[in-house]
Amino acid sequence: MNDFLFDMIATELEDAVGRENCSTRTIDKITHSVDFFWLSRMWADRGLRMPEAEIVVAPKDAQETSAVLKIANYYKMPVTTWGGGAGSQGGALPVCGGIVLDTKRMNQIHEFNEQAMYIECGTGTVYKHLEWAANERGYATMHYPSSLTCSTVGGFLAHRGIGVSSTKYGKIDDMVMQMEVVLPNGDIINTSPCPKHAAGPDLNQIFIGSEGTLGVMTKAQMRIYDQPESRKFRAFLFHNMTDAFNAGRELLQKFKPSVMRLYDEAETASLIKKIVGVEKPGAFMNIAIEGVAEMVDLEEKILLQTFGKYGAEDLGSEYGEKWWKEKITFFYPGHMMDLPQMFGTMDTIAPYDKIEKIYWEMKKAIETNFPMARFIAHFSHWYEWGCMIYDRFIIDEENVPQDPHEALRLHNDIWNCGVRTALANGGVVNDHHGVGIKLGRLMKEQYGPAMQVMEGIKKQLDPNGILNPYKLGL
Amino acid sequence: MQFTQKSKEHLDACRFCWMCRHICPIGTATGLERNTARARALGLSLVARDAIEYSDDIINNVYECALCGGCVEDCTTGWDPVMFTKEARQIAALEGKLPEYILKMLDNLDAKGNVFGLDKNADLTKKAESLKASDTLFFIGEDASFKTPDNAIEAIELLENAGVDFTVLADEPNSGYSMSFIIGAVAETKAVMENAAKKLSAYKTIVCYDPADAKVMKREYKEWGIELGAEVVTYTEFLAGLIKDGKLAVKKSDMDFTPQDSFLLARELDETDAVRDILSACGNVKEMLLNKKATVLAGNLLMNEYMPNVMKMVAENRWVNAKNMNCTCVVATSPAEYYMLKSVKPADMEILTIEEAIGKCL
Repeated sequence: MNDFLFDMIATELEDAVGRENCSTRTIDKITHSVDFFWLSRMWADRGLRMPEAEIVVAPKDAQETSAVLKIANYYKMPVTTWGGGAGSQGGALPVCGGIVLDTKRMNQIHEFNEQAMYIECGTGTVYKHLEWAANERGYATMHYPSSLTCSTVGGFLAHRGIGVSSTKYGKIDDMVMQMEVVLPNGDIINTSPCPKHAAGPDLNQIFIGSEGTLGVMTKAQMRIYDQPESRKFRAFLFHNMTDAFNAGRELLQKFKPSVMRLYDEAETASLIKKIVGVEKPGAFMNIAIEGVAEMVDLEEKILLQTFGKYGAEDLGSEYGEKWWKEKITFFYPGHMMDLPQMFGTMDTIAPYDKIEKIYWEMKKAIETNFPMARFIAHFSHWYEWGCMIYDRFIIDEENVPQDPHEALRLHNDIWNCGVRTALANGGVVNDHHGVGIKLGRLMKEQYGPAMQVMEGIKKQLDPNGILNPYKLGL
Repeated sequence: MQFTQKSKEHLDACRFCWMCRHICPIGTATGLERNTARARALGLSLVARDAIEYSDDIINNVYECALCGGCVEDCTTGWDPVMFTKEARQIAALEGKLPEYILKMLDNLDAKGNVFGLDKNADLTKKAESLKASDTLFFIGEDASFKTPDNAIEAIELLENAGVDFTVLADEPNSGYSMSFIIGAVAETKAVMENAAKKLSAYKTIVCYDPADAKVMKREYKEWGIELGAEVVTYTEFLAGLIKDGKLAVKKSDMDFTPQDSFLLARELDETDAVRDILSACGNVKEMLLNKKATVLAGNLLMNEYMPNVMKMVAENRWVNAKNMNCTCVVATSPAEYYMLKSVKPADMEILTIEEAIGKCL
């Protein structure tokens, strides 16, 4: 784009959101060009600059967002929405330049509804701030992912995020009531006032997980919960993964704990040993039960009976409490894999009859095809019908190509291998980190002709293809 | 651009980590992605890799940090964004790249003895001159001397009423706090600190009204190897002692007081009990959600010189924190935070200095 035209567009955007809320500063463009995607980090680590937006704009509400999208549509400029930028899939990267629309000025708490138990807020609200707002009045959001402190409400909605207490309280898509969304043409819409209804398909679920490709979510009513009267932890060590899956599946037919996390032997011997201090071999599993004290006591009894049947060693409450306290510690630099290592977390999900096979097949595929890679895994977010796996590959520095293009090639080969193995055995492209640009190419492999439903919606809502191009395989 | 190896390690750890985003008072106020420890680290790490210039743009970003250490306190691993931010300021000074607004503050300091470029307050000078000589010095500091002199006078009168034998210098030296904040550990900062130490070493005890001065005297002088032949005590610690010893007789009321912990006291000097001891003697302590070491900055007068709108938003956010917990009477423990909180005080809220809170219960 020539300078004259760019200046013309920039002044239009400044007119829409205020000059002070538009930036072409280097620092702003750089900070919106690197997210938590390993490739973007590696690129910066090698001293290279990632693709940058031409301009960063920060609208304060749906009206200003609408104005930005109308301008972008007229000039056919790409718009990439940025919340916290902490995603691992490259979903927020402005790979085609254009406009980065930062949502964090939309961080107001609009309503605290104690009758219907929700907080209505701007989607640019950092989730931890929403949690504090709930805590100040004696409630909790119960959405506790590792990125709680750095991601926004909109960011979690955009890629269907999940927190550690999901088994009892659900994913982010279970926690939202009504949403306000700005469509690519600038129209402002509201989804149904209630999340459960028979007034046609659920509009919420069209935009949740759409990763900024179908519209910009600007306001959301997020559910809040009473603080539990009692929260108890119990950790176990299983002899093998099969026993652990059977025990977990059986437990979930009886009641729902809040936290359920099972670590394979390799991750138990590495991360769990380092952070929680479990020295024994086996598969570590942590369970949290919470709610009304009497019910918690009863559920604890059922837990011990059920897991006892499968030969689980009861490690008591201490390790579980330590895990809860350190649940975010795992993700600080210095505590887990980081550059110069190459790594990735391939989270997939499947029913119980397939999940263990997926684990072993992925482990075999990665370790056979990429012998320099270590494979570790843990299983979180359990349902009555199945659970998800975090399959991680880690390659130490000496085996990571220094040439960034070669490193990118190796990285993508491993991801292709791992995700295709998951798909071939009944898994899905992703559980809750999203698709982004990292996995977009694999969406058609998962959905086949079903992909035309998503493509049709995209084409109708965003005929110029301005919203977050090349993400989600759209 | 040459960072020390230690700073480089911290830069490289922080450049892709957002875990402390929620705690940054500046980022929370502006909503700007660049106002995070991660953004600052990413920019500086690219400078260190020669991918971008250490330009005005990056340097301005370095000055958008309050150095409050919320990020440092929050970091489980112990990474320290304050360290590399201060070092980046120092490098800007050494490379002659300081922004105009910083140069103006330095010029003011040179010409008037304070970064604000203000003349001495006549009433405060008169008050100081009225006091007898003593081996206990009540050190007012730059912020209070020039921005909240009436509060300083009230504090002096409170100490007088308590029968404390003390003095105040009419020509008080600059402690070096503001120099340390704006250009870091350079020779000029050390010279200012040495000059202050020389004058202050004549006293046995120094009671610092402003936690900022207590912090530099207790910690930074030592780091520079500057000898200060006096015991340094914070104002809050000193008052708590007077109340405990019965020298300051306060009557417990049914009022609720909410301490606004200065990060300088709570995080830098590990002092959170003194203000609570004072306020619980005067009434009830009603806490905000984020208190003590987890406190959130409510304002910085040095930054108010070059980004007043942001400082206003920072203070407004702290009022929201107070309001959400039904805390209607906030007691500031630093002149800067008192000044900023007062400047945007909601009509239905109250802001007090420590001396004002005590004054209500004498």
